Amino acid sequence: MAIVLVGLSHKTAPVEVRERLAFSESRISSALEMIVDRQTVHESVLVSTCNRVEIIAASPRDMNAAETVSYLYRFLREFHQTDHDLIARHCYDYTDLAAVTHIFRVTSSLDSMVIGEPQITGQVKEAFQLAQEAQSVGHNLTRLMNRAFAVAKRVRNETGIGSSAVSISFVAVELARKVFEKLQGSTVMLVGAGEMAELAARHLLNYGAGRLLIANRTFENARRLADELGGEPVSFDDYEKRLPEADILLCSTGATSYIIHPDQIRRALGARRNRPMLLIDISVPRNIDPSIGSIDNVFVFDVDDLESIAESNRTERQREAERAEAIITAEAERFLISHAEGDLNAVIGALRKQAAEMAFAELERSRKRLGHLDQNQEEALETLVNAIVNRFTQPMIRKLRESEDGHSSILEAWKDFYNHDGRK
Amino acid sequence: MTILLVLALLFYLAGAFYAIILFAAKAEKRNGHLKTLITVGFIVHSAAIAVDWWQLGHFPIVNPKEVSSLIAWAIVAYYLGMSLRYQARALPTFLLPLVFIFTLASLLIQTPDHPLPQVLEGAITASTVTQIIFPAHVILVILSYAAFVMTFVSGVMYLIQERDLKAKNIGGAFQLLPALNTCDEMGYRSLTIGFVLLTLGVATGIIWNNQRDGRYWHNDPKEVMALVTWLVYLFIIHYRLTAGWRGRRVALLSIFGFLVVLLTWLGARTLGGYHVFG
Repeated sequence: MAIVLVGLSHKTAPVEVRERLAFSESRISSALEMIVDRQTVHESVLVSTCNRVEIIAASPRDMNAAETVSYLYRFLREFHQTDHDLIARHCYDYTDLAAVTHIFRVTSSLDSMVIGEPQITGQVKEAFQLAQEAQSVGHNLTRLMNRAFAVAKRVRNETGIGSSAVSISFVAVELARKVFEKLQGSTVMLVGAGEMAELAARHLLNYGAGRLLIANRTFENARRLADELGGEPVSFDDYEKRLPEADILLCSTGATSYIIHPDQIRRALGARRNRPMLLIDISVPRNIDPSIGSIDNVFVFDVDDLESIAESNRTERQREAERAEAIITAEAERFLISHAEGDLNAVIGALRKQAAEMAFAELERSRKRLGHLDQNQEEALETLVNAIVNRFTQPMIRKLRESEDGHSSILEAWKDFYNHDGRK
Repeated sequence: MTILLVLALLFYLAGAFYAIILFAAKAEKRNGHLKTLITVGFIVHSAAIAVDWWQLGHFPIVNPKEVSSLIAWAIVAYYLGMSLRYQARALPTFLLPLVFIFTLASLLIQTPDHPLPQVLEGAITASTVTQIIFPAHVILVILSYAAFVMTFVSGVMYLIQERDLKAKNIGGAFQLLPALNTCDEMGYRSLTIGFVLLTLGVATGIIWNNQRDGRYWHNDPKEVMALVTWLVYLFIIHYRLTAGWRGRRVALLSIFGFLVVLLTWLGARTLGGYHVFG
């Protein structure tokens, strides 16, 4: 069985093209029905997300891979009624090892826009489920996809690919979790309502932060944002009074000098009985006096700190991605070898069976002339026939096993000979 | 039972290596296998102690060999208890090497010629009350040491984590350290548990003293050091409750407290005195 993949992704196609060639969930099962024609393609899975479309297909070994590829291109063109050029410009195709590697990379989130983002594995799983419901997958793709999910899990477990924040607003969440572990029950305070602070506040709330206080010079803006995010607006004159409540303070005003001073924070800490505070300054110029950083139980980060953490996390992810690539290459090779072995065993099994069937059919034909046989003679005859079959097939089997790729010229010759592809 | 203890040692050694590898690889792996490994080691270790108990006819707590083993056992017991409440993946990395060292020490230390120090002879075999008081004294003190080990490790983890945060460096292997609040909470909780156990341990010691020779206090180096330890931890608890001390200051004091514990346990031996067993 040969594995073929045709697709396009954020790397090869702009969003207009991806939209145009995407498959909505309701049309996937009919699309799969069209792809699986039981001649060129026996099994298929269709992955369609906002970042990619991938058609994975298994075709018979005797089918020329190029033929399958152009069959799939033709399908894409006809299904979406687009011209040849668009598809030729934006699509890629892979066969066998390259296809398996690509599927493993996609499922493990190495081909994602943000490397290591976790959604893609789930999306591929859903696509596989849809294909199972549409009965368009058989034993080959089931094995392949299950292997892909296992590889994705391995990559996630054995590398740090998804473990660190790579955007500033997520770094804020990561820092908060370094200090407070769980954000449940913690209070976030926004002073100034810049876009970045708002985004970080949203993330913090998503990760369980209990309360949000918003202070802004224009109280109306504070109220509007508080309504939107489910927070409490605080008058700008009052923010210092409310400071002791804040576990996490996000500061992003347009002020041109420091507005949060060390003695304010010391007072707040006293009122909080030294429970730690995380101060994040997203404003430029800075609003939080950096000397606050030397106070015990207070941690101050400015926008450059966040950016450099995000940057080092990105580098880290890149490094981890390289380790992941090594895992994937090895896994893809191993998969193909065991896959080929599966092929080979099927052929060997078929060869043995066919030879035995022929021999015993001949025996039946001669039975009349043999007359009545007793139990012993019956057994001796059976042993004899089996021995001849084994003698006859053994050298072939040995040769087949020696040819490691499992589809050597011997195998091809044998298929031709009996007009048999070894799977029936 | 030496063979069982060797087996437990091997489990702890494997666990220590595995914990360190997991930590260094900073893999997002759950440490389920690690915990199984530690739990199996713990069960084997418990069996070793139980067999000794049965063979000796008294609880094996009368010489340094036995006490080392029991301390290792108590640390693991304490860790397993804590791991029910805290998901602190870095803990085994710090604790298991200590557990390994104590277990190994127990295996290497020779059984003394007089397995039972003279002063203890009555304690193990005499009337029923002393029979309970002496083992209770030793076990309480050992359990308090295990809690203080956890306080110490939490303090160390807190300081590393805090240093990284202050330096704005949050990558690296120390990603797996628990959050500051968790280190602080875990350390302080262990400290209070240890303090209560130590208080009871000292109290039973005093009662036992009195039963033995009618004197409550001998000014023995170990007794004095135990009192100092107790005062250090009382000091921390006091300022935590009244002035809200926490974080770095408490972490540093906890580490200091543990050094005093070590002095009490090991140092007092070198200063002479009768209180030399264990």
